[in-house]
Amino acid sequence: MSEHTVKAYDAELDLIGAKIAEMGGIAEKMLVDAMDALGRLDIDLAQRVLMSDPRLDALQREIEDQVVRTIIRRQPMAIDLRELMASIHIAGDLERTGDLAKNIAKRAIKVADDPRVMRAVVGLKHMAEVAAMQLKDVLDAYAQRDIERAKAVWTRDADLDALEDSIFRDLLTFMMEDPRNISFCTHLLFCAKNLERVGDHATNIAEKVNFMVTGQSLPMNRPKGD
Amino acid sequence: MTMISVSTDNFQPVATDSPVKVDIRNLDFFYGDFRALKNINLGLAQNRVTAFIGPSGCGKSTLLRVLNRMYDLYPGQRAAGDVLLDGRNILDPREDINLLRARVGMVFQKPTPFPMTIYDNISFGIKLYEKLPKSELDGRVEAALKGAALWKEVKDKLGASGLSLSGGQQQRLCIARTVAIRPEVILFDEPCSALDPISTAKIEELIDELKNQYTIAIVTHNMQQAARVSDFTAFMYLGDLIEFGETSRMFTSPEKRETQDYITGRFG
Repeated sequence: MSEHTVKAYDAELDLIGAKIAEMGGIAEKMLVDAMDALGRLDIDLAQRVLMSDPRLDALQREIEDQVVRTIIRRQPMAIDLRELMASIHIAGDLERTGDLAKNIAKRAIKVADDPRVMRAVVGLKHMAEVAAMQLKDVLDAYAQRDIERAKAVWTRDADLDALEDSIFRDLLTFMMEDPRNISFCTHLLFCAKNLERVGDHATNIAEKVNFMVTGQSLPMNRPKGD
Repeated sequence: MTMISVSTDNFQPVATDSPVKVDIRNLDFFYGDFRALKNINLGLAQNRVTAFIGPSGCGKSTLLRVLNRMYDLYPGQRAAGDVLLDGRNILDPREDINLLRARVGMVFQKPTPFPMTIYDNISFGIKLYEKLPKSELDGRVEAALKGAALWKEVKDKLGASGLSLSGGQQQRLCIARTVAIRPEVILFDEPCSALDPISTAKIEELIDELKNQYTIAIVTHNMQQAARVSDFTAFMYLGDLIEFGETSRMFTSPEKRETQDYITGRFG
């Protein structure tokens, strides 16, 4: 995209893009760390995840303020307008993703002293890897304005839905096997739900990237795995 | 009945629900040897507002001036092609220009009230075309001033000079003068560029009302204004019609790179 006649306009859009990228990086790290903390029952790491969240919230607000100021100053049209609208939505999705990672970290802290079956975490770890990959891919798609990559993320979300379903069955089995597993496994169930929601936010972002680049919306009906 | 065609994603023209009032076909325009319009094909939808946007010198005002043959006043200027008003070619040399200009009214960039009373500013044009008794003429003047949302402000000073009004009021007086002779099409050539934001809002509100009765074309440099008041937008550049479509789409997802660069301020 060529530059605006008014250079400060480009600088404003670049700044918003940079803040989105920073949010994406933080959200990705929070998610990975939260799952590591859960897998290793590492309370220190879980605490660090919780401490990252305020920065994510602050960035979201900064992006919203910046977008509003740019709308006032520039009265954006076409691609610029779509980019700004997408930025607000994507910032919201990333902030929520951070909240979900934070929730997993909190649960890691809670279950650290419970009786637990660590093999119950195996499936969840795999699901977390898929969710993290979705998040990474969609952030790359945003950075590179790559709609094919965004569409791939959008389509692949069905995998996460299917994984959640399978983890649900596994955890149910562990709970039936030994009622002492119930507390731990219930926390893991919520973690699986959180990861599934992370996937939904990634697909939201994919939809916004597609709209931002093409001006067209993806179909209402996305392939579902559940 | 012909319907308005706009381009879509794959550049296939599709018909909308609006019948064509003015059909511009293969229109070229020359200032001496200079070709200012190049094979323009475009329809103005009846009871809709069509905005012409584009950088200075793109031909948008020239196109407007063709629609009521304003250019006839200047030797060395000529148009080729067809401009069909309700199916009749107004570029035909036999066309009665005075009658045409009664059917196709024009409002200019700078308010141009005549140096006469407010009342006479309106009645002058009516009297050119019709012989009416005073009472009926009074009614027409009042209706025109009401139609231009000016009546309340001037009803007690119809004998005052048109030039005593504010810029925004003068512009609405010119609109009243135009609607007084009951045209079918109204052309606005940057009607708000000399007005403050409040007067601009009043004119835009007026345009919104006027389209119920008239077919409207507006040339504007203000893209937000085009987005606010028009149903269709045509983007022109160097005498070419680059893109024509529904305004709601043109300003969110234009198809042509040139349109996008212009409306987002990336031009040149």
